[in-house]
Amino acid sequence: MAGKPIEGEKRVFMTGNEVVAYGALAAEADIMYGYPITPQNEIMHYWTRMVPKYGKRFLQTEDELSAGFTTIGGVMAGKKAFTATAGPGNVLMQEPMSMAEAMRLPTVSIVQQRGGPSTATVIYSQQEVILTTMGGNGEGLRVVYSTATHQELFDYTIKAFNTAWKYRFPTFVLGDGYQAKMRESLTLYDPAGRGIELVPPQPLLGAPGVPGVDRPPAQYRNTYSMEEELAEVLAKNIADYEAVSGEISEWEESGTEGADLVIVAHGVVSRAAKLAARELRGEGIRIGYFRPVTLRPLPAARIRELAARAGSFLVVESSYGQFTRLLKEAAYGAAARMIPLFKPGVGVTAEEIVARARELLSWSMRGQSS
Amino acid sequence: MEAYVGEYAAGKSEVAVNRALDLAGEGRLVTLVDLDIVEPCYTLRPIKHLLEERGVCVLAWETRQTVGLGEAGTVLRADARWALRREGDVVLDIGYGVEGSKTLDLLEGARTEENLRVLAVLNVSRPMTATVEDLVEHVRGMMPVHGLVNNTHLGDETTPEVVQAGAGVVEGAARLLGLPVVATTAVAEVAARLGPRDACGHPVRALTRFMPRAFW
Amino acid sequence: MVDEGAKLVNIQPVMPKCWRADTKPHRFCPGCGHGLVLKALGEAVDDLDIAGRVVFGADIGCSLLAWDLFNLDSVQTHHGRTVPVITGLKRANPDLIGICYMGDGGGYAIGAQHLVGSAARGEKITVILVNNTQYGMTGGQMAPTTMPGQKTETSPFGRDPATTGAPMQGPEMVASITGEGAYVARGTVFNVRQLKGFIKKALANQMAGRGYSFVEALSLCPTNWRTDAAATWNMVNEVMPRYFKVGELKVPGETGGR
Repeated sequence: MAGKPIEGEKRVFMTGNEVVAYGALAAEADIMYGYPITPQNEIMHYWTRMVPKYGKRFLQTEDELSAGFTTIGGVMAGKKAFTATAGPGNVLMQEPMSMAEAMRLPTVSIVQQRGGPSTATVIYSQQEVILTTMGGNGEGLRVVYSTATHQELFDYTIKAFNTAWKYRFPTFVLGDGYQAKMRESLTLYDPAGRGIELVPPQPLLGAPGVPGVDRPPAQYRNTYSMEEELAEVLAKNIADYEAVSGEISEWEESGTEGADLVIVAHGVVSRAAKLAARELRGEGIRIGYFRPVTLRPLPAARIRELAARAGSFLVVESSYGQFTRLLKEAAYGAAARMIPLFKPGVGVTAEEIVARARELLSWSMRGQSS
Repeated sequence: MEAYVGEYAAGKSEVAVNRALDLAGEGRLVTLVDLDIVEPCYTLRPIKHLLEERGVCVLAWETRQTVGLGEAGTVLRADARWALRREGDVVLDIGYGVEGSKTLDLLEGARTEENLRVLAVLNVSRPMTATVEDLVEHVRGMMPVHGLVNNTHLGDETTPEVVQAGAGVVEGAARLLGLPVVATTAVAEVAARLGPRDACGHPVRALTRFMPRAFW
Repeated sequence: MVDEGAKLVNIQPVMPKCWRADTKPHRFCPGCGHGLVLKALGEAVDDLDIAGRVVFGADIGCSLLAWDLFNLDSVQTHHGRTVPVITGLKRANPDLIGICYMGDGGGYAIGAQHLVGSAARGEKITVILVNNTQYGMTGGQMAPTTMPGQKTETSPFGRDPATTGAPMQGPEMVASITGEGAYVARGTVFNVRQLKGFIKKALANQMAGRGYSFVEALSLCPTNWRTDAAATWNMVNEVMPRYFKVGELKVPGETGGR
């Protein structure tokens, strides 16, 4: 059996799904539970090939409900367990993830968004934002990282395990079908080599000792009798979540100082948004770019600050407003208008964003509203 | 008659498309066949017309003709099964799969056709095929293979050094396997800087990138 | 000389060692069969001395009331999802003894997918399914195991097999889809000693790593059956065995049926 899967650092050329598998390896994940669904299958194809090489484990379950619940079993046994899904599989995944939210379980899930609703297309979209951030029957106490590049898929898959085991909220890496299949270069590295400490897992069930003799029994439930009991549990979890939201949330921005129009996007669309902003700034136009990396918890404070100063946000997404809804909630009351560039299920190019931004800027220069 | 096999994302389609265009450019009658039956996403389908305009006959579904590509549409075309019986040159793009070149068993006559050469496309910048040992194990798993193609690259970051380093590793594997390295492929700008042969003496073939347009 | 009166007052019911005393009395209805099945399970765990290795999974439904019944690590899951949670746990830590405790809905309806998948894969877990022919906790709706003519809240005129099928033969299904190393049996609370024996063999099967183990237990629900003591025992001992045959269906190493 091989030693550490990644020694040192190496520049490589891969598809996004493969990167996820290598990221999980680098994070020292123990076991993957999964069910086939396009476009994330190569995560399993590659993980299963790594299993014998690196002494890992894998179970293909009978459906995504089971993939999610077996992942729960795996983390409760004290192993770094993860799963991956997309589309209709993500819809099913909300059942187990609701339980993970309720019981503060450190599950890691990678979601590669495809067109929706229903089976729609296997290709791409950003239409699983609401599902992944708030899809359970709870308050969305989850961490969701929206990646834009293969380097980020690697970095944030590693980080997802650390975040999950440190803060104990179900954690998601939200990619999409383009990222999953696209090929590009990145640097694979051993986290230790970059000073990244891996948070060790701990068993919740089956720890050493006889329950009732050596230690109290570990007994977990998610059902309560009285509203007050539930309220108490929720109050604690919500307080914990709010306490760490500031340190977990991440974002990227440029040129927002003094910019009247800010282009806002997440995930792979942020690449086009960044290019568009750069092009327009190259012409001397004062235009900002803002990209939340965490959709949960959203960097709400920064969004409110920017929304208080800017005139408008041009929100670009491959969905009919799922991301915009999150922004609006965070920015509520602030002055900025939220102007949509919605292309549900379809990619967005920098050219399209530039064209729309120019329209808006020329209208505002003429004193017209859009 | 050439079949291009290899690891997922090794560059089989790009190499196959360019090979077909090179042959057509020489005035030859060429058919290019798409045999990706695992996870078709990045194949000949979207660029079919473009290739046909340049004189290549293409046996591939157009995305529009499939029903829910990737969900329900990994269907083998009937004419693809008989590709080896066609007149002229045949270039086969064999998609990836756990059993690699066994896809050829779907073609009539693949195992008996003497003129069919199976070529393994290799990119040393990919973690699973990065060392001589990896390559030897990988190619042995796809036998019978008749030759290797060094397609080592890092996408937009490719430099002649990257390609040359890959050539060395591929050469090492080729010697252990007892197979020839048929060519080193690289995008035109890099190929120009490499010259007609790489450091190991393999012929260099220039590629024009088509596959980014062929996404889904 | 012991004061006879004091001795009588101090008598405690005999409980399995692995039962938690501080969560007693348990919450099951008077006359419920769960108490008997769980006692048999507790004694089996005691006899096999595996309390330090067991993880007990409870489903939704009345089985959920057992979540803190034992001095065993326990997890209450979503309805029908006990099997995958325990499967995941066992796959991650094979030294544990995984027990999935559920009712007819959790096993044969909402959880059927997982029962079939895990059985077909031969997961090294032990499933104990309590069959009382209806959905107890939610007020007595029809279950896959409801018998023909039986009135429930969703079959108020009696179950009609022509439109809703015959009672689910769970152990028979599990026996047919499992491989060589599986242990499959159906016991009854009418014969707790036999039931305990089946459960012990099921757990021993898991401990030996031979394969899947599944025990259905015919049980009682006088609350939703609306039966007095005599009628309750009649139901489980005279009526139910007409549709559900008691005995071992599959024992590793033994060929043939019961």
